Formats: sequence, structure tokens, C-alpha cells
Amino acid sequence: MRIRSPRDFWAGVMFIAFGAFFVAWSFTHYAMGSALRMGPGYFPALLGGLLVFLGLLVMAKALALDGPKIAAFHFRPLLLVSLSVVAYGYLMKPGGLAVATIAAVFIGALAGHEFKWKEVAVVALVLVIFSWLVFVRGLTLPFPMCPQFIDNCPIR
Amino acid sequence: MIRLLAAAALIATASSLQAQAWPAKPLRFVVPYPPGGPVDVSARLLAPKLQAALGQPVVVENKPGAGGNLGADVVAKSAPDGYTIGMGAIATHAINPSLMASVPYDPLRDFTHLALVVQVPNVLVVHNDVPAKSVAELVALAKTRPGKLDFASGSTGSTGHLAGELFKQMTGTYMVHIPYKGAAPAVADLLAGRVQLMFDNLASALPRVKAGQVRALAVTTLKRAPALPDLPTLDESGLKGFDMTTWWGVMAPAPLPADITARLNAEVLKAMDEPDVKTRLRAMGMEGSAVRSPAQFSAFVAAEAKLYARLVKASGAKPD
Amino acid sequence: MEVFDNLWLGVQVAFSWQNFFYCLVGVLLGTLIGVLPGIGPVPTIAMLLPITFNLDPIAALIMLSGIYYGSQYGGSTTAILVNLPGEAASVVTVLDGHQMARQGRAGPALAIAAIGSFFAGCVATLVIATAAPPLAEVALKFGPAEYFSLMVLGLVAATVLAHGSLLKAIAMVVLGLLLGLIGTDVNSGVLRFTFEVPDLADGIGFVIVAMGMFGVTEIVANLEQKGEREVFLGKVKHLFPSKEDLKRSWAPILRGTALGSFLGILPGGGALLSSFAAYTVEKKVSKHPEQFGKGAIEGVAGPESANNAGAQTSFIPMLTLGIPGNAVMALMIGALMIQGIAPGPQVMTDKPQLFWGLIASMWLGNAMLVILNLPLIGIWIKLLQVPYRFLFPSILIFMNVGVFSLSNNPWDCLMMTVFGVFGYVCVKLECEPAPLILGFILGPLMEENLRRAMLLSRGDATVFFNPVDKPISFSFLLAALALLAVIALPNIRKKREEVFVEE
Repeated sequence: MRIRSPRDFWAGVMFIAFGAFFVAWSFTHYAMGSALRMGPGYFPALLGGLLVFLGLLVMAKALALDGPKIAAFHFRPLLLVSLSVVAYGYLMKPGGLAVATIAAVFIGALAGHEFKWKEVAVVALVLVIFSWLVFVRGLTLPFPMCPQFIDNCPIR
Repeated sequence: MIRLLAAAALIATASSLQAQAWPAKPLRFVVPYPPGGPVDVSARLLAPKLQAALGQPVVVENKPGAGGNLGADVVAKSAPDGYTIGMGAIATHAINPSLMASVPYDPLRDFTHLALVVQVPNVLVVHNDVPAKSVAELVALAKTRPGKLDFASGSTGSTGHLAGELFKQMTGTYMVHIPYKGAAPAVADLLAGRVQLMFDNLASALPRVKAGQVRALAVTTLKRAPALPDLPTLDESGLKGFDMTTWWGVMAPAPLPADITARLNAEVLKAMDEPDVKTRLRAMGMEGSAVRSPAQFSAFVAAEAKLYARLVKASGAKPD
Repeated sequence: MEVFDNLWLGVQVAFSWQNFFYCLVGVLLGTLIGVLPGIGPVPTIAMLLPITFNLDPIAALIMLSGIYYGSQYGGSTTAILVNLPGEAASVVTVLDGHQMARQGRAGPALAIAAIGSFFAGCVATLVIATAAPPLAEVALKFGPAEYFSLMVLGLVAATVLAHGSLLKAIAMVVLGLLLGLIGTDVNSGVLRFTFEVPDLADGIGFVIVAMGMFGVTEIVANLEQKGEREVFLGKVKHLFPSKEDLKRSWAPILRGTALGSFLGILPGGGALLSSFAAYTVEKKVSKHPEQFGKGAIEGVAGPESANNAGAQTSFIPMLTLGIPGNAVMALMIGALMIQGIAPGPQVMTDKPQLFWGLIASMWLGNAMLVILNLPLIGIWIKLLQVPYRFLFPSILIFMNVGVFSLSNNPWDCLMMTVFGVFGYVCVKLECEPAPLILGFILGPLMEENLRRAMLLSRGDATVFFNPVDKPISFSFLLAALALLAVIALPNIRKKREEVFVEE
């Protein structure tokens, strides 16, 4: 038994894992009911089973037919871009819009091919001003402008 | 004991100091539902009035999720400094605590109930082809055809659902509950006759009743609705004591200093009495409430919580 | 004819200087929020509601409608330029539109989207004017059984969205269906797959999944290219579609308009399907299905027309029955009720000025949009010449703003990241996101309608395929079966060939 198409093989593994999880979780946590009066577990268990079946097919095909390898993962951009998005979300409340935007831009820019301090600073600044004008003033989104510890924010 | 008293005094002076300056910065007004619903609209009606009266911006912030529990929890967990207020509704403060497995806040102890804003009755409406012209005839029909009638509702555990369950209980009839995702698709199936009846809230039912799209049989409150004065109540129609309303009001985290509580209560009530707010709410079929003071509101919430604890249990709506 | 008298009345209302102004404000604002990814018409209209209290109801409705269909126009811009679908309809536009942009053909893509939308908007407006009440009756014929069968047809069609392996596309649809079930179960109120996280109780927002799997993934995928610094390699050849482009597009625009106009009238999720359906049709009737997903202009023209036609005709159930087909329509009903006007069958007779004024304003607004958008194309193209190292942090910020504004919850940003990482894994395993997204949208609707139909029929499964009682449902299922055969057959034939080749 040789894996002839690694890409499809691992795709199959992923589908089987997801499917099996949904089936197992549905059976252990939710009422199944009957086809006539379906419980909350019925539909997900059915679909999960179907997904396992499809995953097996994909896997079988990967063992039978040749296919390409999985292209290399690049963890640096993946990690930094993810971090940038999460930082924005979780810095908004404590740090305010400016802090969140600047942090997200800098972390995100580190994922790029070149990182020039000054350029990134300018981009960050422009985005802060743009966000303030368009989103906070224009569309009146309730984003805080100042960090939380400043009691009475002068900017609105 | 002395230490306790001293601490209490300290808190009291601290809060009164704080209150002197209050409001010194913008207030946020948390709405636990997505924008555009009736609760949101009424918050957005009130916000500019409060802003004018308090001299500080009042920013409406929608925090939907978990049937309103997420937003209510934000209010509950905020500092009780008068800078966070929010809408609390029948779902978040009376039904969900009984309906859901766990609610992250205590609807009574974690909140200062400031002012009840709106109380809307539900209306029992039937599809035009349903032969029953009154509640008595409907009951008779349901008894001759047990399990053949369906009633729609906007969601499991909504007032529409619970009103139906209560109706079944009090009349000894059997009808099948068909839950929907929101009232709109439920109404669509009611208009098409796929379901025969629904306990819709007055605001949404009113135009359809007036246009003759559906037939109203009764309102769910003890008193008749001013918008439909000819429509009998369920209480009059033989279901003695049937009394349900959908309601929401302004709340703040507890314990809010007494002076801020009084001020906010007064300002909300004043805003509610302004003619433009009043006419707009009335246009949507919403009525103000006889519950005026914070203490009355707290008592009202407690009574409602008790009522729905009983109803939810009896209806079997609680999952698992 | 009476229709023309009425339309003339509407034109007079819509062209009063005040209504003209509010229509312009509406479409401008709509274009702006449409272009900004993730910020949809719902929060914008909600925020503007208090302003409309003091307006004349006609002006208010005209402005709010302008925001709605304006945002449908603007949504395609971001989809084409930076691979960001801010709404369900743009997921399809991304597939070929962004590929065109990468080949330096963003201009023709944007132009054909604008032209198609304009044409569709005009036709759909005429449909509302001439046939709103009878069409509303058709809409009421769709019950749970009919919707379920329509969704089945939609899911079969979803597999056509992929240009790679059919098997993996089907698996992605199923996975999407499952992910869509996360949240509160409509029938029982049970929280499913939420793992005690309250933020999951209402499920995962569609925008979050789409922006994660398209937007975040795309940025990471672009950044991992070592040598290439610029994403948009193709030289911008021309701004406007060539004769060849137009020749290829007119039929898809017609078909898309027809499909969208019909699906739009169904309040229970029809408009959602319109662009997906149009894409499927185009790919199936095309002589070059292999070009789809690689920059086929038909893949932009058809779905964009369908989307705009659907957006327009989704006013029909709102105006004639008072039933909102989506959140925007619910908001407009709210706006009208605050004004003391109850939407429903009586609006046409009691408030002809409102009804016909709105219809005429839709035509006016569509004209404004096309006039506004065609010159804007030049500016958008310039945007693509901004070096990517400036562009991608900005795209990240706009995505963040959009996602955060959904419910002011950092959790949503976290979820977008999760789906970004998941999307990246999917790219590596060559599993395409579009079928998953359609499954994600349809999953809850499908289950809901299936269970509701079974409840209403007291467990009689024949409600779905009884040709006498449920002819509509029956024909949808039949069509789904036929489509399945059409999709599967060439594959089986190809398989055989492959097998033969190997031997």
C-alpha cells in the first residue's frame, strides 16, 4: 500500500476526521430522534457519516492514482497574518482604535518580503486617520478611540 | 460590624463624589440584539433624547448573540458607574434563565432595573380559511380535530411559543408547535395556510389584521389593546387570568448609585413622554407601561421570571 | 395602460429634487459600504434609521433602498480587486473576477459587472412594476418542502463551483453543511457544537467564514511567493470590455437576470441562491467550461446580473405581503412602521406615490450607479498598482474593521483567523472554499426546512416528491437528479479514459 497522491490522501484524512468528529459528538451529546421526528443529532450525524464515506473515497483514490505532492507550508506569513488579525480584535477594547490598528499593521507587515520601519509607520498612520474619519465619524461605528485607562476620551 | 459600616460609608461617599461629576464622559447603550429589531429601534429613539438631557454622547452598541445573553452579560459585568446602560428584555431577563441550561448572569441581582420602556401584547391570529371566528369556536375545532392544527412561532421558547403552550394547557387541546427562525417566515406560512394559527406580537400583526390578511381572535393581555379596541382578550374569552406581554426596558449593572438610578429613570421616562417618541412607538403598536419606578420595574422583572419559570417547565420547551 | 400611468406618477415622485437627492445619497453611501469589505447594508441602514425619522417616508425609503442595491454594486468591486467577498453573492464573483484582475483585466471585469447589474436592475424594476402581486402569490406557494428541494438542487449545483476534483468538492459542500449547523438548533433550542462558548451560540457568521477562507488565506498565499513581489502581474491592457467580451457576456447577462428575478421573489433564501445558480448555469452551457475559475468573463456577467436582479425583486414580498426576505427588508419594514405605514397589499392602493415612487427611484438609482461606477473603474485600477507591501496591511485592517463591526466582539476576529488558517490548509490540499461556503449558507436552511416539512406532514416523507400535491418540490428534485447526472457523466467518461490511458 503506497500513498500515490499525498495531497488527496491528506484531504481524505481531513474529511474523515471532521466527519467522524461530528458523528461521534452528535451521538454522545444530542438526541437522535427518528426520521419522522428528528432530534438535534439526526442531521449532523447523517452528514458526518456521509463525510466519512466521501473521505474514504478520496483516500482510496489517492492510493490508486498518482497525484501531486503537498506544496510546502510557509508558517511565517501564516502566523504573522493570523497574529495581526487577532491582535486587532483583542486590542480594540483595552487599547482603542489607534493602538489596535498600529499593532495590526506592524505585525502584519512583518509577514511581507521587506519591512521598512518608516514606510510601515506611514501606512499605519494613514489607516488610523482613514478609519477615524470614515468608520468612527462617518459611519458612527462604536469603536473606542482612546485606550481604556483614559477616562474621558477627547477624540470622537 | 463597624468596619463594614465604614466600608459602606466609604462606598457611599465615593459613589456620591462620582455622581457629582456624572456624566463626565460618553455613555454606551448596549443592545443585545442585531440592529433593526424593535428593541434596537426603541434604543435608537431614546439615545438622542438621553444625549440631549445628559449633555454627553449616548452611543448605541449592538452586542447580539446567544439569544441576547451575550449583550446582557456585557451589561451585567460592566462597572456600575452609570456609563454603561443596556436594554434588557423578556427573553434575556425572564425566559432565557429558565429556558437555557446556563445563563452567565443573574437577571435580578446583577442588574439595576432603571425603567420599563415598552410592553406589547401578543395577538392570537388565524389563517382566513380557519372556520373558527372566536376563541370558543377555535377550542371546539381543536377538540374535534386533535393534533391537526399547527401553531407557528418565531423560535422555541419565544413568547409566541409559550403563549401557545399555555393556551393548550388551559383549554385542554392538542396542537403542534412549528418553530421558525424569526417571525417573518412563520408569518409567510401562516398567510399561505400551511400553519393555521400564531400568537404574533401586536406590532407585527396589526397591519395584517387591518388589511384582512389574517383574522385576529384575541389579545393575550388582561386589558384590551387600544389599537384594536373591538378585539376581546383571552381572559374574556374563557381563559381566565391569561396575561402575557412582550416587554423591554433600560437596565444598568448593579449596584448603581441611587442618585444616578433616579436621574436615569427620570430621563428615560421623560424621553418616553416626548410626543415624537410616543407617536413613533405607538405607530409600531408599542405601548408604554404602567410600571414607572425602578423598584416597580425590579418587582415586575421578578414576577415575570417566576411566571416564565413555570411556563417553560410546563411547556417542555427546555432542551434536554 | 395603467402601468404606464402609475410609472409616470412614480417618475414624478422620484425626480422631485428632494427624492433625487436622497436617492443619490443612498447609492453613494451604498457603494461606499459595499466596497468596504464586511460592512454590510444592515448596520449602515440601522444607524441611519434615526435620521430617517425626520424625513418624508418616501424619501426615507428611497434612500434606504439606494443603500441596499448600491451595496450590492459595490460588493463586487472588492471581490474582483482583492479577492474579498463581503457578502454571499460576491463569493461567486471572486472565482473568475479576481482571476481576471490578476491577468490585468480588472477593468473589463468591473465594467461588465456594472453593465450587467444595470441591465438586470432595469429589467427587475419592470418586473416589480408589472407583476408584483401575482409574483407574491407564487412566493407564497413555497413552503418548507419546496424550499428543501430547492436547497437540494442548489447543493448539487454547488459542486459545479469547483474547477478541480468533483469528489473533493462534494466533500467540501458536506463539510460546509456541517459547519453551518454550529449554533442553536431552531427546532429544539439545543446548542450544538458550541463547546460551552457563548459566542458560538448563534453560529459563525457567514462574513467571517468567507473573509477568512478567501481574504486571509489569499494574503498568506500571496506572501509565501518568494520571488514575486507584485501580485498583479498582468499589464492593464484596457479599462473597458472589448467587443469579444461583450459578445461573450450578453447571453449570460440575460440568463442571470431571468434567474435572479425569479429567485429574488422567494423570501426564504431564494436571493442567496441567485448568483450561485447563475454561475452553475453559465458553466454548464458554456462551450469552454475549463476556462471557468481561471478568468471567464461569463462567470462575472451572469452572477452579477443575477445578484442585482434578485436584490431588486426581493422587494416584492416586502412590498406586497409585508414579509421581509432578509435582514435589510426587515429594517425597511421597521423604518416604514415608525413612519406609521404598514407594508402589505394595501400599500399599492393606499400609498401609490410611495410604491411607484420607490420603483421609479430604483431605476433612477441604477442609472446613477452605472454613471458613478464606470468612471470609478479607472481609480480602482490605479489602486492595484499600489505596491502589495502597502496594499495587504490595508486590506487586513479593512477586513478587521468589517468583522469587528459585526457585533463588536473580538471573538469574531479570532474566528476569522481560524478560518484563514483552515483555508490555507485547504489550499494546500487543493480543496476549494466556494462549495464549502455555499454548503455553509444552505446547511441550516436545509435542515430547518426538512424538519419543518416533516413536522407539518406528521412524518410523511412523500411531501417532497409527491407530483400531485407538491409539483414544485417534485420538479426541483427531478432537476437535481438530472443535474447530478449531467455533472457525473463526463467525469465517469473521463475516468474511463484515464484508466485506459494508464493501462
